[in-house]
Amino acid sequence: MDTGLKQSSKSAQTGNDPLLQNPRGEETDSFLQQWQNRFSFKQHPLEYIILGISLLVILIFAVMIDGFFTWGNLSIIARNATALTILGCGMAVVIISRGLDLSQISVMVAVSAVFGLLLTAGADYMIALLAAFLLAIVLGALNGWLIAYIEIPALMSTLATAMLIAGFCRWGFLQGEFLVLIPKELPEVIFFSTGKLSVFPVSVIIGIVVLIATYVLLSQTVLGRMVYAMGDNYISARLTGLSVRTATVFIYIFSAITACIAGIIVSSGSGTVDFRIVTNGTLLFEVIMVVVLGGIRLRGGRGGVFNLLIGVILISVLHNGMTLMNLSGQVQNLVKGLILISAIVIDNYINPRDAETDTQGDL
Amino acid sequence: MSSGEDSKFLSSLHKVPKQRSVFSYRRITSDLLNRNWIEGAIPFITFFLLTTVILMTTDGYFAPSNLTTLAQYSSDAAIVTIAMLLVVAIGGIDLSVGSSFALSAFVALYLFHIAGLPVYLVFPLTLACGALVGLVNGFLTGVLGCGALLATLGTMITVRGIFVIASQEYLVEISSSARFDETWEYIGYESFMGVPVSFLVLAVVAVAIFLMFKYTRFGWHILAVGGNRKAARHAGIPLKRVILLSYVLGGTLVGLAAFLFAARQNSAGSDTGVGLEFFVLTGLILGLGGFTPGRGSVFSTLLGFATIFILGNVLINAGFRGDFINGVMGLILITVLAIDMKYRKERHRILARAYLDPKPMKMDPVLEMGKMAPEFGSAKLGGATLLGVGEVDGPEDVILDRAGNLYCGTRDGRIMKLFAPDHTRVETYVKTGGRPLGLAFDAEERLVVCVAGMGLYRIAGPGQIERLTSQTKRSWTSIEDDRQIRMADDLDIAPDGRIYFTDATKRYEMETWGLDLLEGRGNGRLLCYNPADGTTKTICDNMVFPNGVCVTHDGKHLLVASTWTCAILIFDLARMQDGPRYFLRGLPGYPDNINRASDGGYWIALAGMRSPVIDLAMEDPGFRMRMAKRVPPTNWLFGNLNIGGVLKSDRNGTIVDAYWDKPDGPLYMITSMREHHGSLFLGGVTNNKIGRIDLDEADKSWNGPDSYWPRET
Repeated sequence: MDTGLKQSSKSAQTGNDPLLQNPRGEETDSFLQQWQNRFSFKQHPLEYIILGISLLVILIFAVMIDGFFTWGNLSIIARNATALTILGCGMAVVIISRGLDLSQISVMVAVSAVFGLLLTAGADYMIALLAAFLLAIVLGALNGWLIAYIEIPALMSTLATAMLIAGFCRWGFLQGEFLVLIPKELPEVIFFSTGKLSVFPVSVIIGIVVLIATYVLLSQTVLGRMVYAMGDNYISARLTGLSVRTATVFIYIFSAITACIAGIIVSSGSGTVDFRIVTNGTLLFEVIMVVVLGGIRLRGGRGGVFNLLIGVILISVLHNGMTLMNLSGQVQNLVKGLILISAIVIDNYINPRDAETDTQGDL
Repeated sequence: MSSGEDSKFLSSLHKVPKQRSVFSYRRITSDLLNRNWIEGAIPFITFFLLTTVILMTTDGYFAPSNLTTLAQYSSDAAIVTIAMLLVVAIGGIDLSVGSSFALSAFVALYLFHIAGLPVYLVFPLTLACGALVGLVNGFLTGVLGCGALLATLGTMITVRGIFVIASQEYLVEISSSARFDETWEYIGYESFMGVPVSFLVLAVVAVAIFLMFKYTRFGWHILAVGGNRKAARHAGIPLKRVILLSYVLGGTLVGLAAFLFAARQNSAGSDTGVGLEFFVLTGLILGLGGFTPGRGSVFSTLLGFATIFILGNVLINAGFRGDFINGVMGLILITVLAIDMKYRKERHRILARAYLDPKPMKMDPVLEMGKMAPEFGSAKLGGATLLGVGEVDGPEDVILDRAGNLYCGTRDGRIMKLFAPDHTRVETYVKTGGRPLGLAFDAEERLVVCVAGMGLYRIAGPGQIERLTSQTKRSWTSIEDDRQIRMADDLDIAPDGRIYFTDATKRYEMETWGLDLLEGRGNGRLLCYNPADGTTKTICDNMVFPNGVCVTHDGKHLLVASTWTCAILIFDLARMQDGPRYFLRGLPGYPDNINRASDGGYWIALAGMRSPVIDLAMEDPGFRMRMAKRVPPTNWLFGNLNIGGVLKSDRNGTIVDAYWDKPDGPLYMITSMREHHGSLFLGGVTNNKIGRIDLDEADKSWNGPDSYWPRET
């Protein structure tokens, strides 16, 4: 009682009410403790397991494969991982908000096809880029609108928009072809595919920028707080008065923009846009895989950019090592599928579903 | 009254204009939305539209030869759709069906062409391959509890990887194999009585799964788990086993489909089964009208699949490519899902908006009552003796037996007995479970009671209650199933034992009957129960809130109060088909129950009083509709139900006396009255007491049961 009075008089003087900052009146964790929590094994077992596995894989590859642990190969790994990282950033934000974007690859292909066609038609590079970004924003907003306002579950609506976007885009823009060629001789295209800023490839730098932007978005902005709130408990986030619908639209626009950036980097690098990766490819599953492997749970509300990085490291190293070992793409896919299944099983073991709160349609 | 006099009297009365069946777009909308089958209408409508368009644009599409080809080529994917239905019904999803289909087809081809096994061994092994993939999926999702989407995504990639690796090794060898087997060819190409074998297999599978969902315990368990997993768990259903088994069964069906495919195609390519899961899912979602777990409608699903398949086929014939068809599928998916979500969300809102369906109603001018009008008459009910105060809650009807015991129903579903002679001892006579309203004694002195929400019941003694009827025949013109008697209101028994009773409104319940006034439509009906053969018949439909019923003193006519029209109607019991005539119209209030008086006349309870404003409002349906929508119910303009009274009519329908309550009570709304040995007992549906007044000039020896069932002397 006495202390309470003292506190309140003190806070009245300073205008700094401790109860306001810490409503439960608990001791706030010190900075050091926060970092300890962030990296404690007990709270993040999956990350440590995956990190351990990655190090083990790197060690095995370094011993088994000649030229694996060289600067040149590592930069190849980094360059190959760029697209996955960028796509993973978008997918991570969506999954943390308890959504899922199965149309990401579709958007990526559609947007880069438009980009390529505009360049081939002789449009200015900046205009093509702008058009690509605008299209990505429109497609992302479509997804967000279907999910937030029409209230179709994310899984179903993005599944449908994936078919819709890829189908109509190929039909409308490509007249049934599945390849769009990017004019590789353009200086801007060359800059994005093989250009370097000092020793770092431009694409890797873009990947890092997207990572940092995602980090800032998730941890420093209002939208980021809403992403976590929605992922934790969508209903209570809505009842709190958060504008969850608007937020959903922005989240899917963000995902589409990452798809756009990844698409431009990939198509600049390879010189083609291949529509077959929408149906035949496993890129979408790889994206979901790196997100899940890193310890971002599918039910949302947990995880961040660091988790994503862990997943990306494992998959890229594995990818690179298997390619160096001359394993065929089919075998690689098989291995990836098995890894995805094990990641899901481990995730489920660490974050088990509660049979009492489990609802129907919760896939 | 002699019979000649009688018919003359009747024919002097005006006939009530015949109420035809109600046609109103509002009512059709709301009744349609209330039906369960409306949710399954989407696949039927789209299928119908599609076939119409095809019939108009394409010649010979539905020719037998083309249909046979379609049936042959669609069967395997249709079986996969049923497999998907099994998995979706349990609340999961299976994205691996395409890969599993390809792998099983490969297994069948390998075993047949390279291993050279006989068909009777190839068949079970192919099924086993599909079942194995299903087992893995079921283990991951059911036993370990992983999310179905990602787990099956993982198996999809893995199984596809296995298939591609294996097929690279053997596909060339398979396609160059020359093995010939009659059974294999028969399954692949032949028809049995004009129907392709694979289609027959599909039919058998569809019927089997349909029967499984409808009649077997396992099928019910699947639907229960899909409908509400938590509830299913609490009900003791072995969740893990049921989920596992449904995945295995789904996988087996995929294997079966792959076997049919292998026998027909005799080859497989690297793209076999690619995109099959999306194709099948689109058909399923269109068939179910949304992604709805817990539903096992096999035939709707197949219809949805057929729509998608035919649409794709037609588009390809019309020269469109696969990419366009993919886009169209996506569009269909989004449309169906959007309609489903919006429908589920808006259904109640539309229903609430469309349900109230007012109609213009011209009220008769109020009868000239002279000195009997409330403003002149002394409030004769003001000094009533009160019985059972606080012990009877809402006695809508009261009745007395020969011994003078008083019975009444209460709001909480009981029938109370107030013992003679002073009616101070109150006991529960019987519990009905509904809302007991009208009461009557039959020839054996058993109490027959109308229970709102339940029907017509008979009480042989304390605690002995039996149902006489709760349903009548369905009327032909109603979309709503109107068999159930929703609000049995009052009854009376004719000398031949037939029980005439009213169902006051078919559209509202005991709690919301007030809305029926705002409608002002003929929503009620007069029914007849014949105890001789136990049948219930609708005598007169579309009556405006038929309420009190009374058989006349001579036992030849029936009086029925039509509350909102403020009229008493009369039927000839011998000629019921002639319809009612007006016995009394333009009453100053809303008539409720009617009962016999000792002098050969009738008592009429007025539940409330008319006012010129509400009479005017009844002429304007738009006004009533706007009021119901925009104004809270407590502020509605409504009939004045705060005060009532009792009118006395002679045998010819002339008001001879009026008993009004005082503005400050004590009886307010009066819904019933019974005369017994010179006293009048008064009940009110919102009262917590029964009133009694003594009648000076009445026959002190008269009582109700004796009037209906004269004792042999």
